[in-house]
Order: sequence, then structure tokens, then C-alpha cells
Amino acid sequence: DGHDDVFEEHKESEVRGGSFLLCLQDKVNNIRTKLEEKVVEMENFAGHLEEIFLTVEENFGRQEQHLEQHCNDVLQTLSHRYDERAAALGEEKKKKLEALYTQLLGCGRTLDASKDLIETAQELYRTEDKRLFLQEKPDLTLVTPLEFDMPLADLSDVKTMMDSINIVPAPSAPVINPQVSNSATRTSLRVCWSLFSDDSVEYYELYYRPVLEDTPAVKETHCSVGELLPNVQYEFWVTATNTTGISPASEKAVYVTVPSPPVIRQRECSSCPEAALIRWESGNTNPVDSYTVELIETGTDGQSGVTESIVAVPTCESLIQLESGRQYLIYVRAVNIGGPSDRSQAFTVSTTGTVFHLLQDTAHPCLSISEDGFSMFYGDEELPLSAMTFDDNTFARCVAVLGDLIPVRGRHYWEVELDEDTEYRIGVAYEDTQRNSYLGGANTSWCMRHVLTPSRHKYEFLHSGWSPDIRITVNPVRIGLSLNYERGILSFFNVELEQHLYTFYCSFQRYVHPCFALDNPGALTVHTGVEAPGYVHLV
Amino acid sequence: MLSGLRKTVAATFMKECPLQYNYFPCGLAKGNRTMSLVQVSSNKCSGGYQKVFEHDSTELKCKMKVAVYLPPKAENEKCPVFYWLSGLTCTEQNFITKAGSQQAASEHGIIIVAPDTSPRGCNIEGEDESWDFGTGAGFYVNATQEPWKTNYCMYTYVTEELPRLINTNFPADPEKMSISGHSMGGHGALICALKNPGKYKAVSAFAPICNPIQCAWGQKAFSGYLGEDKKTWEAYDATVLAASYSGPQLDILIDQGRDDQFLSASQLLPDNLIAACSEKKIPVVFRLQPGYDHSYFFIYSFITDHIKHHAKFLNA
Repeated sequence: DGHDDVFEEHKESEVRGGSFLLCLQDKVNNIRTKLEEKVVEMENFAGHLEEIFLTVEENFGRQEQHLEQHCNDVLQTLSHRYDERAAALGEEKKKKLEALYTQLLGCGRTLDASKDLIETAQELYRTEDKRLFLQEKPDLTLVTPLEFDMPLADLSDVKTMMDSINIVPAPSAPVINPQVSNSATRTSLRVCWSLFSDDSVEYYELYYRPVLEDTPAVKETHCSVGELLPNVQYEFWVTATNTTGISPASEKAVYVTVPSPPVIRQRECSSCPEAALIRWESGNTNPVDSYTVELIETGTDGQSGVTESIVAVPTCESLIQLESGRQYLIYVRAVNIGGPSDRSQAFTVSTTGTVFHLLQDTAHPCLSISEDGFSMFYGDEELPLSAMTFDDNTFARCVAVLGDLIPVRGRHYWEVELDEDTEYRIGVAYEDTQRNSYLGGANTSWCMRHVLTPSRHKYEFLHSGWSPDIRITVNPVRIGLSLNYERGILSFFNVELEQHLYTFYCSFQRYVHPCFALDNPGALTVHTGVEAPGYVHLV
Repeated sequence: MLSGLRKTVAATFMKECPLQYNYFPCGLAKGNRTMSLVQVSSNKCSGGYQKVFEHDSTELKCKMKVAVYLPPKAENEKCPVFYWLSGLTCTEQNFITKAGSQQAASEHGIIIVAPDTSPRGCNIEGEDESWDFGTGAGFYVNATQEPWKTNYCMYTYVTEELPRLINTNFPADPEKMSISGHSMGGHGALICALKNPGKYKAVSAFAPICNPIQCAWGQKAFSGYLGEDKKTWEAYDATVLAASYSGPQLDILIDQGRDDQFLSASQLLPDNLIAACSEKKIPVVFRLQPGYDHSYFFIYSFITDHIKHHAKFLNA
């Protein structure tokens, strides 16, 4: 069986092949196992190496640290030692130097003393008698003598007194009284004095400066002296006389006559519905102590009411609060210790509308003001510049004048009457508005301006040189100006038509004055004391 | 008997609430049906009420809207009436929403009536062709030409029908009326005042068309409404009317924006009116306001001044 053999060979070879394969496989497996073991060993070794590496690193790190620290400590200690030793050295140096210096000073002094001694010795050596210096004697005499110097006593007045001891003595000086208030008049004074008790008196003589020609001898203890000057101080003294003789003069007392009444400056007074500003002249050459202002409300029937007095007014002006729509009479008196003067002339105030006057001092020289002070004219004639007198207060370019509006924060109203062709500027300005500027040109004035051109009438409402563009068809001839401090407005009206023309809205920083100017020859009249019409307040 | 009872009831009702009954759409008395107002809107404003009404106009033969502002004072008392005429292209809405007039009207106790500017919805051929002729451009004249003459009677509407309507339906003082307006309405206000001396206690205007026969707007409108005979135009020209005015003294306030494009386009011509009034001594204060144009912003800025001006005469 070839077949079988082959087959068996196959089988054998197979088996042999198989067992060879198995052997191979075994070997391979063994090798593989061994290799695997080796790998594991190597890995372990690597691991160990790594550990050792880390440990060494750590250890060396620690060693470095220790070394660094140790060296730092050493350095620090050395540095300390150095400091100490250096300080000690310094101290010692200082002490030694001080000791030597002291010794040096001592030597110096010794040298000086020795030098002096030598000089003295040399001098001594030069003098003849070497023992003279022992002979200097102190002064032992007495300064003052022992005897007393007695002046002779003067006893003559004692003798006189002793002689007159039984006679009635001459009177003592009377006691002059101080001036009784309100006992004086402008030209006379009543002087009083009193007797020193127990004196017997025949008569008194009153003296005053200027010295009386004939001193009146009066029996009473008072005397009225007349023909004096008002508001003048006089000195008075009194002597009392009896048979024995005249008393010494009393002390001098000063009496004052009452002042003359003041004079109210009508043109400098102004008013508005709520108040009046009164100004006056003292009326006396010498100063007075104060003024008293008296006001009386006069009813519509002419009857007067109660007199109200404002006392101790220190200056020659007074701002008085009043009720609107009334009439008042105002008087002023001057007061000194002698008493109050007579009443000044009466001044009537009507609290309807606002009343003010034009300030003549501010008027441009070309402007002439009427007698009553309410109309102004700018004449045609050209005044030469030399004829015009300017001062700090007068307008120099704009032919203008200011009004003296009462400084009260209320509502004021006044009217201006003019021709429709008059070229004017009317409005208000601060008191300090530049006198060489034109009204309305700066921010210190507000005004309505009328310019007449060949073709038409032009109206401007100027402030800071600017005006809105406004046309008015009916030219006003009577213009109402309404000033309201509270609302900060200045309005203009055509009075005849009751037409509102324009209103400035401004906030006034201080009191303003009405201002009036004529740009070309013409005239205008100011109407004050007019009650503001109702429509004025509807703005 | 029934009709008699109805009359008594009506009479009693009218007596009891004289101010209130007319706010209801159906009039209880027979004659009132034609004068009936229908409220379209109501808004409280400045303490009073801004209302809009609609009614059948007998003059204009169409439904017309009219705005009415009632100040707080109207609840208790009769108030004067300020009529406002609006300009080209406006309706009754523009003034009441843009001009800011209610505050001043409230403070001064004045009723403000603002009608529309022309009849509407009349279906006239060509009425909507231009913005400056026809709808929204009635020019406050009574047209004499076809096809406008039936409806375009704004002059009579403003001067007669509207006051009747207002006086019947509102607490209005019939003796105290004044008139004002803007642009074409300014023209309307001026001619109504000049043609009816004494009827209006005050008059003012914003950028009015002062001399329509000399400007393009006026010439277009007048030739359309009034025909070619220029003589008929003069009756509706404020400058011409001023030159021949005689009547109680007027005090006219006019505000004009200096930057108004229509001023520079020579549509408004205020200088002509000023010259005529200066000649005739009719008091006018004309203010040229720098920077202002033709818009409602300009009206808003000065409406208070105008209402104050009117109040001076209406509340006197």
C-alpha cells in the first residue's frame, strides 16, 4: 500500500512535521517568555534608576540650601562683629580727643595768667619804690553831713484863718446844674444852679463864654440867657457873693442851644407807592446829634392823622415805608442835647405812582433842564467844545441825563411826552453806566430808541447794542414805561392807544435809574406821579 | 296732547341743564337737529378739555370737523372765544396737537375754536390736484365761480355759521370773540377783523399772507374761486382793506419768522400791510423773529404772547 505509505509518510511527516512544529512553537514560546521576563526586569531596573535619580536630586537640593543658609549666618555674624568693633574704636577716639582738648585749654589759661604775672612783675621792677603798691588806701570819709537843714515855716494863712474863725465865711462855690433837656431854645438858655448848704449869700453872678460885659447879679438860683446862637456850646460858671466876699467860681458846665430846623431838599426827594426817600440839609453850621422825621397822613378831607416820628436818624436822608394811594406831610427836626429844633418846612408826598427828579449833575452840557425839572431841551445852537464843562458824572457823548429813581424793589411807572419826530432814547440804566457811551449800547442800559429816516420811522429796543426787528405803525407821542424789579421786566406802551410795544426781560443786579437822551435837537417831558394803568400789569 | 307734553318735557329739561344738553347727539327740541354736534374725541388737557366735533354745515353743504378747547373756567362760567384759522394743507388737528395753546387758554379762561381749512369730501373735480388750491386751501373767501361756489364759502362759515354753532352749544360769551391764524389763516383772521369792524375784540397773526392779490398763492386761489375780475379780489385782501378801514381802533400783533422760506419767496409781503397801516394809523406791532421759520415750532414759541394779547381785550 503505497497509498498508505504515502499516507503514513504523510502522517509521519505530518506527525514529524507536527511535532517539529510543536517543538518550534515551544521554543518560540520559551524565548518569548524569557524575553517577556527580561522586559519586566528592565522595566523594574529603569524604575529603580528613576527613583534613585530623584532621591539624589532631592538630597543635593537640601545640601545646597543648608550651605547657603550656613554661609549667610556666618556673613551676618561677621558683619555684626565689625560694627561693634568699629563703634568701640570710634568712642575711644572721641574720648581721647576730648581729654587732649581740655588739657590744651588749661594750658592756654595758665599761659595767660603767667603772662599777666610777668607784666606786673616787670612794671613793679621799673618803679622806684617797690613797696608803693602796698600803700593804696580806701576812702573813709562820710558822704553826707550829720546836721539837718530846717527851712522856716510860713504860717501866715493859718494866722488869717484863725483871725476869721468867728466871721461868716464867704460862700462856697455854687453847684451849677447840668442842662435840663428840652429847656433850651435856639437863642436862649436857662441855667440853674444850687447853693452849697449853710452858706449865706447876697447875690450870684453868672459868667459864660463869651464873657458878659455886665454880668447880671441875680438873687434866684436860675437865669435865662438870651441872644445866643443856635446849636452852639456855651460854658457857664457861677459865683456866690455875700458881705464877706465872693466865692470861688463853680465848676464850668456846658449848655447847648437847640439847633435851627433843617431844610428839606425838594429836588432830591423821590417816592413810589410803597415808600418815600427824603433828603435835607442840616441847616446848622455845627454838627447836630441826630434828626427826627415826622410824618402825618392827610386824609382826602384835609384832616390830619396821627404824627408818626422816626427818631435817631443819623444822616441827612431817610427812606420811609408808606401805604400806597395816600398823601402825607413830612417834617424834619434836628436834635442835639439841648433838644429838638422846630419843624422844617412841610414836604408833601403822594404815594400815587412813582416820583423822581432829573439828576442835573449827570446832564450832558448841551441839555438844558426846565425850571420844574421835568422837561429837557437839546437846542439847535452848536455849543463850542470849550463852552461845555464836563466832569466825571456828566454824559459826554450821548446827550443824556439820568433820573433819581427811589431805590425800592417795587413796581414803578412813568410816562414820557414828546413829538412823533423827536429822535430819542428812553429807558433805564445802572448808575455806573459809562458816561461816554450811548444809552443802550452796553449791557448797563436798556432803552427804546426812535430814529427818523427819510423814508420812515424806525424803532429799536436796545440793550448791549442789539435790538429786535420791530415795526410800529402808529408813532407814539406819549410812552408809558413800566419797571418791575420782582419780575425783572421793563415794558414800553403807547399810552394813547393802550398798546403794548415791547418788553425787555432782564434780571437787574442792582437798582437802576430812568434815563433819557435826545439824539438830535428836540425836547421831551417826563410825567411822574402817574398811577400805572391796569393793562401795564398784564404783560 | 302728546306733542304738548313733549314740549313741556323738553322745556323743563333745557331749563334744568342749560349747558349739558347739547352734548347729546339728539336735540330734544325740533329746531336743534341741524345745529347738532357729534363729539368725535375728547382729551383732558391743562385742566380743561380738548374736544373735536363733527357737524353738518349748512354753508359748506358737507360734514365739517371743528376742534374746541374748553378751559376749566367753562365748567362754571361763560368764557370768551378765540377763533384760530389754520394755514394751507392743515386740518382741525394741526393746531391742537402742535401749537401748545391749551396751557395759556386754560390760564386765561378762553375757549379756543379751530375749524378745518376747507370743505371736505365734496367730490369736486380738481379739488385734490394742488396743495395750495381746493382741499385744505379754502382761503376763507366765498367762492363765486363754478365748481366751487356751492361749497367753498369759508368766509361765511367762519364769520357766521361757526359763531352761531359755538354760542348755542358751549358756554361762550357771544360779545367776546377774537380771531387769529397762521399763513393763509393769518390772512383769514386779518380780513375777518377788517371786514367786520367791532365784531372781534382782538386780532393777531403768525406769518400771514398780507397782500394775496400780489402773491402767487393769492393770485392762483382768487382767480380759481373768484374769477378774473381783480376788483372782486380786493374785498379779501388785508392790505387793501386796511387802506380803507374805518371802525373801532384795532391793536394788531403780527409775528413773522425771519428765516421763513415763504417770506423770501414773496408770498407773505408784510411790508405792504405795514405801509398801509402806517398810512391809515392802524396800530400794529410787527415782530420779525430771527431764526424762526414757517413751521408750527414758530407758532408754539409765540402762541402764549398772542393769547396774552387777546386776553387783554377778551377779559377786559
